[in-house]
Amino acid sequence: MATLPTSRVCVWDASTLMEPHCKRRKTEEPKDACPWQVVPVLSERELQSVTLMPVYAAPVLDKKQASRLVKEVSALYPLGDYPHLKRVRSCGSVNSSHPLEIILCLAGGKDKQSLQTALELFPDHQLDLSGLGEPFLTQVPVNPPLTRLQYEEAASHWPVTFHENKRISQALSGCLFTAAEKTSMQSHMELAIQAAQNGARQGMKPVGAVVVDPTTGRVLAVGHDCRNGVNPLLHAAMVCIDLVACGQGGGAYDYQDYPSCTFLPLADSSNQTSSCADGLPYICTGYDMYLTREPCTMCAMALVHSRIERVFYGAPSPHGALATNYHIHSCKDLNHHYVVYRGILEDQCRNLSQISVLK
Amino acid sequence: MEAPGRQVVIAEETEAWMERAVNMAKKALENGEVPVGCLMVYNREVIGKGKNEVNKTKNATRHAEMVAIDQVIDWCHQHKKDPEEVFGHSVLYVTVEPCIMCAAALRIMKIPLVVYGCQNERFGGCGSVLDISSPILTDTGEPFQCMAGYRSEEAVEMLKTFYRQENPNAPKSKVRKKECVK
Repeated sequence: MATLPTSRVCVWDASTLMEPHCKRRKTEEPKDACPWQVVPVLSERELQSVTLMPVYAAPVLDKKQASRLVKEVSALYPLGDYPHLKRVRSCGSVNSSHPLEIILCLAGGKDKQSLQTALELFPDHQLDLSGLGEPFLTQVPVNPPLTRLQYEEAASHWPVTFHENKRISQALSGCLFTAAEKTSMQSHMELAIQAAQNGARQGMKPVGAVVVDPTTGRVLAVGHDCRNGVNPLLHAAMVCIDLVACGQGGGAYDYQDYPSCTFLPLADSSNQTSSCADGLPYICTGYDMYLTREPCTMCAMALVHSRIERVFYGAPSPHGALATNYHIHSCKDLNHHYVVYRGILEDQCRNLSQISVLK
Repeated sequence: MEAPGRQVVIAEETEAWMERAVNMAKKALENGEVPVGCLMVYNREVIGKGKNEVNKTKNATRHAEMVAIDQVIDWCHQHKKDPEEVFGHSVLYVTVEPCIMCAAALRIMKIPLVVYGCQNERFGGCGSVLDISSPILTDTGEPFQCMAGYRSEEAVEMLKTFYRQENPNAPKSKVRKKECVK
């Protein structure tokens, strides 16, 4: 079994690479000569466009009654399941005859939404209707917005609250990672590309994978697709998962015929941040995987089972399961989720598929 | 034997194979492993068997089906058979619905038919969480047919028994948010 020569292990040392940065960045980071971009692969919930539902609203004709109306209407028709909806919106337009509009209640989807009067909505003098105009039907967002894009779309229908996820916003604006982090990402993806090329020389599909422990910067495994050997299921990600297992004293396959599939034995990986009671690592918990291309459904689910922390891939695949066909990494029903970024050295990764497999 | 691409499954035989799969799962449970058992049958012969080997290999992808697929590949090499032909005429008998990963693997191997016991509420790839077996996918490989419900009560009971026990190999961390609800 080959092991990684230490010279190829990228030790991530931020202090030597990072410039001291001031507390407030006044300008965007200068576009370094980095020809690739890290793009977060959002979940389906973060990507979906805003869905709307009908509600009854009414103009508030007398501003002095507004706070009383809000209190009393909210008591009668709480919007408990929709805490993101603001009860009142101001009508900024100059030609509006009334300053505010208020949500009265949901317009039940089942019964026909024939317009009801205020008296029908609030029978038996439940509510003092003074200051309230006649109800009208309008559409409001069903779900709280998760991204700024969703927020902007939702707010165009009705005002909503928005608790911005800083990580997502930073990632989307391209300033989540420091230059140093991007450098180490690039070096790991270069290892994966190299493995893919070495595999292709042996007649394998040109796909490479690398597993890194981000807490130490150590490369734990480097592998390539071996499916053109005896086993059609030995995709690059499956190989790499097994190589990590080999490093932990397990593993299911023998890589003697594939010298470019290597792992770091457990003995070499000192100062382990263990995730297990006995001080040993538990499969891929806390690790990052770099893949030259988007994994298929089998591999994406294998990474769920392996408890991977983050996946970085270069180019999308026609049957990929981390954006293209599915979002396996953020599937609500599954018991583990991981973060996915794409676009690392995308052009080089895309060019790998041009390699003609030498037999 | 049978026309290519067509699977003839005789009910009595199905029961006999599932009986063996259930017994394998029982053995796994006795050994403190996830109680899933499976067999791959080709020309009325068992050419691959599998039980979960995750703990043994420290590889979370070593599910019973993956182990059985590897055995069939070995069998093909030993008997100088074309794997494509063998997998294309084999039936998988498994006590629990294959997970998303295994279902995708079965597609890649072009296994035409899977007979299974109970639903896999957590990870199922034949309808429970996603339907990877479905013909509408323009994915790699081929869709496969499923026959579900054989000995499902026993399979569920074994799973429940297993999940009531502690898995000494699991990380101590996360509290499970949702108990396995049936």
